[in-house]
Amino acid sequence: METEVKDQLVSIEKPELVAPPNWEPVIMGILCNWCSYAGSDLTGTSRIQYPPNIRIIRVPCSSRVDPWFLIKSLQTTADGVLVSGCHPGDCHYITGNYYARRRFLVTKKLLNFVGFHENRIQFSWVSAAEGPKFAKVVNKVTEEIKKLGPLHLYKKENFEKK
Amino acid sequence: MNYTKQIQDIAAKLFTEGKIDVFVGYRMNGFDDNQVPVLITDPQDVSKLVFTDKSVFNLVNYLKTDHTRRKRVGLVVKGCDSRSLNLMLTESQVKRENLYVVGICCEGIVDDSGHKMQNCVECVVPDAVVSDELLGTPSGQKPYMVNVDIAALAAKPLTERTAYFEEVFENCIRCNACRHSCPLCYCAKCCIDQETATLYNGANTTSAAFHALMTWSLHLAGRCVDCRNCEKACPSHLPLHLLHKQNESVIYENFQEHLAGVIPEDRGAFYKYSLKDPDDFIM
Repeated sequence: METEVKDQLVSIEKPELVAPPNWEPVIMGILCNWCSYAGSDLTGTSRIQYPPNIRIIRVPCSSRVDPWFLIKSLQTTADGVLVSGCHPGDCHYITGNYYARRRFLVTKKLLNFVGFHENRIQFSWVSAAEGPKFAKVVNKVTEEIKKLGPLHLYKKENFEKK
Repeated sequence: MNYTKQIQDIAAKLFTEGKIDVFVGYRMNGFDDNQVPVLITDPQDVSKLVFTDKSVFNLVNYLKTDHTRRKRVGLVVKGCDSRSLNLMLTESQVKRENLYVVGICCEGIVDDSGHKMQNCVECVVPDAVVSDELLGTPSGQKPYMVNVDIAALAAKPLTERTAYFEEVFENCIRCNACRHSCPLCYCAKCCIDQETATLYNGANTTSAAFHALMTWSLHLAGRCVDCRNCEKACPSHLPLHLLHKQNESVIYENFQEHLAGVIPEDRGAFYKYSLKDPDDFIM
């Protein structure tokens, strides 16, 4: 039993807080309708397994993703966020993801600056044909966030983890 | 730096010519050597106006009030203020033909202890970029410097930064003075208030403060001109400039050296894009 206690997972931002046994992260996946959502659909229809930790929200375009969405998800249940859209140049709305890209960089750097680990906020470009890539991305993100432990920062009262 | 006489003359001239209804300037606060903003509608009050190196506030903020809306306004702007005025003009919040702008070639504002303020030491554009009349001698654009506080904090380990900012957000009392004092926060309804729609969510918790300040600073990313009106207004003396300067430095480094409001008709950094924007952080 002692070895188990030693191996306990701690929150990377607050090392004094230990994760409960069998803790699984919750990841908010915000996917664009035209590429990544179709890509995730292809992953499912091709029977490729990916971790069930991701909770998917569909948005019209990656530029619909307000930095506010990330803040709100991190404040509630999420331990990490994954935002995914079309590859640059492939946007259904021609230039949406170019605008989104700027916002993502600034949001990621700012959240890292105020004390979130940079791996908690992740971005990816997944096209509608890249089913295996989507599974790979979700696997990687889940693995990375599992290492960081539960998020204990700025949770709303209802969502504070014991 | 003392332009009291010139500004009084200009204001008096404008009132006699009937060019303006209101003049926005500074006056002494009456009990020490600090100054407060003043809106002058009566030509006899022109003698109240002053301008020295203690004129800290950004008067562009007063263009959003009922006292100045749809009126012809005379206005004193320093370098940083003129950048925010430039953005307000670009975003169609004020009409240029309604304004008479007295631009100042600023030499730096002094705080209570007699030192130059931090944002004036790091100032990039000390001369007014929008003006009908320019006072002082222009000194030209200065090189951009990364804020010293940002550099010091970014070098610290993650857990220390987390602890530092938790204290910052904990001390916020959610008075929204930062929002009201910001010239670029002109929305009639603010999305931050959505959180305060219910009594419970509007509670003054660290989480609510985190939400409010982060949302606010991200809405100002690429638009903040570093006038530090928010920091002067904050009753808890929170280091609000940290959030803004962090965004500013990221934007300056990555997005073709974008500086808010320096070029006329140039909108914030999030209103445009470039194919050369960094892509390496995306999987």
